[in-house]
Amino acid sequence: MGGDEDLAKSLESHRKYLMRYAVFQLRDPSLAEDAVQDTIIAALAQRASFEGRSQLRTWLTSILKHKIVDIVRKRARGLPADAMQLGDEDGSSDAWFTEQGRWIDPPADWGLPDAALDSKQFWLVYRKCCQRMPERHALVFSMREVMDMSTDEICKKLDISTSNLHVILYRARLSLRSCMTKKWFSTEHG
Amino acid sequence: MGKLMYSCEQASKLSSRALEEPLGRLDRSLLGFHLMMCRGCSNFARQIQFLSRASHKVPEALEKDEG
Repeated sequence: MGGDEDLAKSLESHRKYLMRYAVFQLRDPSLAEDAVQDTIIAALAQRASFEGRSQLRTWLTSILKHKIVDIVRKRARGLPADAMQLGDEDGSSDAWFTEQGRWIDPPADWGLPDAALDSKQFWLVYRKCCQRMPERHALVFSMREVMDMSTDEICKKLDISTSNLHVILYRARLSLRSCMTKKWFSTEHG
Repeated sequence: MGKLMYSCEQASKLSSRALEEPLGRLDRSLLGFHLMMCRGCSNFARQIQFLSRASHKVPEALEKDEG
């Protein structure tokens, strides 16, 4: 009995972090709240499988990832069937390249960018730039790079082809790179 | 012969794909050749690698928000 109370208490102590994680991915506080709620319920139900297997937060985060993906899939079902597919606007690279495939605005040097990782301001800019991407690009990018899911897993969960995935990630990176250049690396921070 | 020279668009696409899966030998050497010759694309390749590194640190950054 005491053990359960302890668990409930420590779950509570991780709630804020889980909320920030979910809001980052879902961009919507009420959806994020649902995901975190479901995570805590699942954690309590599966507590036997935890038993110090790993850090509590790591375990909770791995449950949360699945809940986030579930929510996104449910939402995608409400959208037109091809909402996760690429529209025409995504197929063209007009914004970045000439007809001959040359950079319109060739990427300039960022110097040694890793120092920025310690800056709070950098993360605010990063988050803003992620939010500028079309929602499905941001989500796929996040599943791949933040949630560290394999390409196979992402394709299966979202029911998209590998080549579709490559295009989405490519376009997400073009967009993020360009935004970070404008908002961070060509300012005094960079 | 033209096919053996990648455009910047093709090269940057491959640099991105290389973050998902190992490239074939031909792609790898043609990309390497392009990156050697092209400052813009080699900056792009380095920058998306950095952004990948950064993105993996998002959970860590979210923890620090607790401050």
